[in-house]
Amino acid sequence: MADHDADAPERTPEERRADHAAIDRLADELLPALVAKLGASGLGELDVREGRWRLRLRMPGDGRATRRTGSAGRSPARLEGHAPAAGHPAANPAAPAADAPYPAAPDPAVPLGPGIAPVPEVAPTRAVATSPAVGFFQPRPGLAAGARVRAGDRLGTIDVLGVPQELVAPADGIVGATVVDPGDPVEYGQPVVEIELLDEPAAGRGDAGRGTDAAAGGGAAEPRDAGPGASPAPGGEAG
Amino acid sequence: MFERVLIANRGEIALRILRACRTLGIGAVLAYSEADRDSLAAQLADEAICIGPADAKRSYLSASALISAAVVTGCDAIHPGYGFLSEDAGFAEAVAAHGLTFVGPPAEVLERFASKEGTRRLLAAHGLPTIPGSDGLLHDDEHALAEAERIGYPVLVKPSAGGGGMGMRMVRTPRELQAALRVCRSEARAAFGDDSLYLEKWLEENRHVEVQVVVDRYGHGVHLGERDCSVQRRHQKLIEEAPTPALPEASRAELAERAIRAVVAAGYENLGTLEFLVDRDQSFYFIEINCRIQVEHPVTELLTGIDMVATQLRIAAGEPLGFSQADVTFRGHAIEFRINAEDAAHDFRSHAGTVERFYAPGGPGVRMDSHLYAGYEVPPYYDSLLGKLIVWGPDRPSAIARGRAALDELVVDGVITNRAFHRAVLDNPAFVEGRVTTSLIDRVGGAAFMAPRS
Repeated sequence: MADHDADAPERTPEERRADHAAIDRLADELLPALVAKLGASGLGELDVREGRWRLRLRMPGDGRATRRTGSAGRSPARLEGHAPAAGHPAANPAAPAADAPYPAAPDPAVPLGPGIAPVPEVAPTRAVATSPAVGFFQPRPGLAAGARVRAGDRLGTIDVLGVPQELVAPADGIVGATVVDPGDPVEYGQPVVEIELLDEPAAGRGDAGRGTDAAAGGGAAEPRDAGPGASPAPGGEAG
Repeated sequence: MFERVLIANRGEIALRILRACRTLGIGAVLAYSEADRDSLAAQLADEAICIGPADAKRSYLSASALISAAVVTGCDAIHPGYGFLSEDAGFAEAVAAHGLTFVGPPAEVLERFASKEGTRRLLAAHGLPTIPGSDGLLHDDEHALAEAERIGYPVLVKPSAGGGGMGMRMVRTPRELQAALRVCRSEARAAFGDDSLYLEKWLEENRHVEVQVVVDRYGHGVHLGERDCSVQRRHQKLIEEAPTPALPEASRAELAERAIRAVVAAGYENLGTLEFLVDRDQSFYFIEINCRIQVEHPVTELLTGIDMVATQLRIAAGEPLGFSQADVTFRGHAIEFRINAEDAAHDFRSHAGTVERFYAPGGPGVRMDSHLYAGYEVPPYYDSLLGKLIVWGPDRPSAIARGRAALDELVVDGVITNRAFHRAVLDNPAFVEGRVTTSLIDRVGGAAFMAPRS
């Protein structure tokens, strides 16, 4: 998302702090507007330069934005018999294209072949907060698409027999679609809230999308789920 | 009757419960862990819900996950199967507290029969013979040594909270006893959260014979005969059959009748199994009760024609049993082989892997209860049971003949199984003559058992 021209390893602590401040500013001020604009535009992608920084947003459906745990594709369908009203359609658009190569329009700024991203550049990716338990979902009051959240922020609760378990953001980012309606039942590992990632190049992120433990850890409030290595963004996939 | 039952288990028993629900016209929802997402039961159930990760503590052993799954999917009962939470009084109580029915004995009944040592006393008071043992639980090493001296070596050190033969040690000297006490205490604490132990006299050359009982909520109980589970390895059953070749008909009837009288008098409810040791002299001693459906229940189903899981569901729903002892008839002979993912030639090491081919045997008197299918990945997290092959014949020799044919026909590729071990047992004179005792396999070893004899 944030593309830095200089070589990352040579940055001083001061520069790094400045980078973080710039990323925060871009994320807080520019991104929500861009997310809204992209959503309304029907375009597949937006690419905006701001000083030394470049922001590029892609719509889901390009097969790269999201990779879900195995439960994503199946669980909503399985719960449908009981809860036909759940916001399942939103879970589906990304699924059919999951293995398709990146089909978006050519990017003049990055003259590489389809599916190949320049190393330091990270396309907007998405993490998904998955349910840490079987129960009923309640979003946090005021939870709305476009809000900035940090990893660990509470997005809502899963009511397990009257005991709320926290649904937390698996990564820093912008709240995207909430794919479960308030009060609807969810199963363990079910995608609930999508988070558009705002992160530095994904060197440390790893591909956590497939690993079920990581997926559980990202969305779960229980510390033992997460473990020290679970900061990577589940569902996020660096191009 | 229930409208919708949550199946809180996995593997072949999940499938078995699903079949009983279908027979009764009840909806069935499968609760599965992430490791069992592609299981056959998950594919066949009316609905399936993921309750947690592979780690059983957070899925199949999580009371809140299971009960919440039942609530979320609109179930009115939970069937726990065997193992996991099937005999957990706390779970049964929590299920009831949420307005659901636990398919098994009610919590207070499970509580009454939770301690092995307590159950031994309770049923002894109702007329069942028990193995000479320590006077209550062991207070300390000194008490243990004194009790062992009184009973006479060898003795068996047993955890009071245990089950399925877990955590037991046989010792022949005071020295061995002291060492075993330490090990057994820490094992029992780790496995059951309770390190209380007791002693039993070790009887050599035993057979394991168990009596199936079924008691409704109104105190009406019948027995469904006995099963012989003497082909064991380290207290884990491998082959079960009925009737037992160890006892003449009159003794079998006496054993079963005394068992059902005792449990009804002691206030038992639902399905249960009373395990007995039968010694060389055909004396029998009560060991423990299993308050759940058992792996080997099909042996009894083939002999009696009674669907035991359906019966269990009906009783749990509050229906009267609906038949009397005189209605129960026993026909022929049945043998069950537990098909495990383990290598009998190499100390029964367990295996996981992907099933490449699976062909279940068939024909008259042949039943295969298995959750396998080609392409199924056997997860490494749970027990090694891949299925059960059960054969029936009008008499024991014909059941054995069908067993041989069926085992020869069974194909499981991709995962090592103990099929060849079972096949070897059926050619072994000790088995054919009905002389197998519970310690035989451990004494001889699986590999030697399978070695061709000259």
